Amino acid sequence: MKKATRIVLSATQLRCQRGAGKDRFELNVPSLDLCAGEVCVILGPNGAGKSTLLRALAGLEKSVARESLRVPDGPVTLVFQRPAALSGSVHFNISAALLGKGIPRDEQRRQISAALARFGIEHLSEQDARTLSGGELRRLALARAFVLEPSVLLLDEPFDDLDAEGQRGLTLDLQKAIAETDVAVAMVTHDLRRALLLADKIAVLTRGDLAQQGPRDEVLMRPASEEIARSVGMTNLATGRVGRREEGVAWIEIEDGFEIPTCADFQPGDSVWVGIRPEHLKLDVGRGEGQPIGKAVVESLISDGLATVASLRIRDRLFTTHLLSGRGLARRLQPGDPVSLAVSPEQVHAQRIEVA
Amino acid sequence: MEGLDLAMISEITLRTLWVCGAALVISSGIGVPIGIALGARRFAGRTLFVSSVNAGMGAPPVVVGLVCVMLFWRSGLLGGFGLAYTQTGMILAQTLIALPLVIGITLAAVGSLDEEWELQVRTLGIGRMWRLWLLIREVRMGILAAVLAALGGILSEVGAVMIVGGNLEGETRVLTTAIMMYTRMGNFEMALGLATVLVGITFLLAGLLTAIQQSGRTR
Repeated sequence: MKKATRIVLSATQLRCQRGAGKDRFELNVPSLDLCAGEVCVILGPNGAGKSTLLRALAGLEKSVARESLRVPDGPVTLVFQRPAALSGSVHFNISAALLGKGIPRDEQRRQISAALARFGIEHLSEQDARTLSGGELRRLALARAFVLEPSVLLLDEPFDDLDAEGQRGLTLDLQKAIAETDVAVAMVTHDLRRALLLADKIAVLTRGDLAQQGPRDEVLMRPASEEIARSVGMTNLATGRVGRREEGVAWIEIEDGFEIPTCADFQPGDSVWVGIRPEHLKLDVGRGEGQPIGKAVVESLISDGLATVASLRIRDRLFTTHLLSGRGLARRLQPGDPVSLAVSPEQVHAQRIEVA
Repeated sequence: MEGLDLAMISEITLRTLWVCGAALVISSGIGVPIGIALGARRFAGRTLFVSSVNAGMGAPPVVVGLVCVMLFWRSGLLGGFGLAYTQTGMILAQTLIALPLVIGITLAAVGSLDEEWELQVRTLGIGRMWRLWLLIREVRMGILAAVLAALGGILSEVGAVMIVGGNLEGETRVLTTAIMMYTRMGNFEMALGLATVLVGITFLLAGLLTAIQQSGRTR
């Protein structure tokens, strides 16, 4: 269990406008709280306003009303997607964050060394910051942010343009730094897998509106709309009508003879949309896992070395599921193979479609 | 009046450096802050201002001289100050020529920073003056280039100083006007001597400018 949460920054009725006419964009956040030591990952498609939200929280958006943002006493800082390096050494870049803050020289030196060590770039201290690689520059930017001892840290795509090894290393360092400093973090990313490693909470933006927020697993398992479902990686979506109910399970008729069971409480005849996370869609290999829902044909298999994403054609829909690469089914399956699909009713998310 | 008069050459050179140096100090003092403000801030009328700076960078010095003379003329707007055919008048004219160069090149240097640069520095939570200091530090090479380019411009310029100063011996005679005069008199020795000094100074400036630009590239 997590320790008691302490709200550090809270936004209420936060609105922010940009552009005019056709390019007009409006951000609308009814409420958002960032808690000490917690990571809130902000997800959403491109152009949903993720970076704008971060800038608004950092106080960089002029159109945000003062009263809609309650900020902590400590610093709120933002690490940009492409961090700027000041001309000069890495050491100078970090010391710039301490300018004019009345910290004695010895203390400054100690803080800078600690920040450099925290992100493993002590050896680069005297190097010209303009010659750093992408990953090193990102570490510099994070070290510079942490030397401020921030209450709130806002991260815009912190893993962008890093290779897998760099991402893994940075994730670990970041996790450690967050735990040690108890900083409240909001992080924007389009990389869902990376986001899930760090996220305590998830907030989803759709076209400028904060559509849903909550604990990580709740948002992942119970997205409030199909659009949100797509943003949080719930790839298997369909709509149908509730047919029969048996033993607490409602069977949703997607098409003639294609039914998906769910534990959600519905009345027969309700129109619903159904979502199944790829990791919950099982290939039935006769072990009796879950309820069979029908036959499909393997359309394609894409492996990144760890996971294999299998695209499955079931009638004229494409569903996806994840397999562990290099083992069992992932090794044996070929495009064109027939498979049986199964789900556990409690892992099927379904929501009534409200008629407008 | 044949022969190389070294005393004369050094006297003219010193006066040239004084006139150009004074104009440079004034135009840099005004132009660098304006260039930084124009580069870093967005305000109504900015585009108009920037385009007039750009136009000013290419303004023919001789026309600037003409405008100055008309202002300094006894019946002109500034006639009461008696600036015609004085060093002060020349310094003012040179300042007007240098100013657009200083503003324009400083502006370009500030503008070459990333759009997000200022926002990023703001997230460091440091005071306004420190942010300004960081900005100046960041574009220091660009500012130096602006000042050197302006100096080169006014050192080698002849039209404005001729019209405004009048090439009076011991008062407003500078390198360029003196070269013109000696050439017309057929005293090529003096003309070449002065030209050597002028070319030497401009080469020195050009070398410095190139060195700065090169260091800027590998930064």
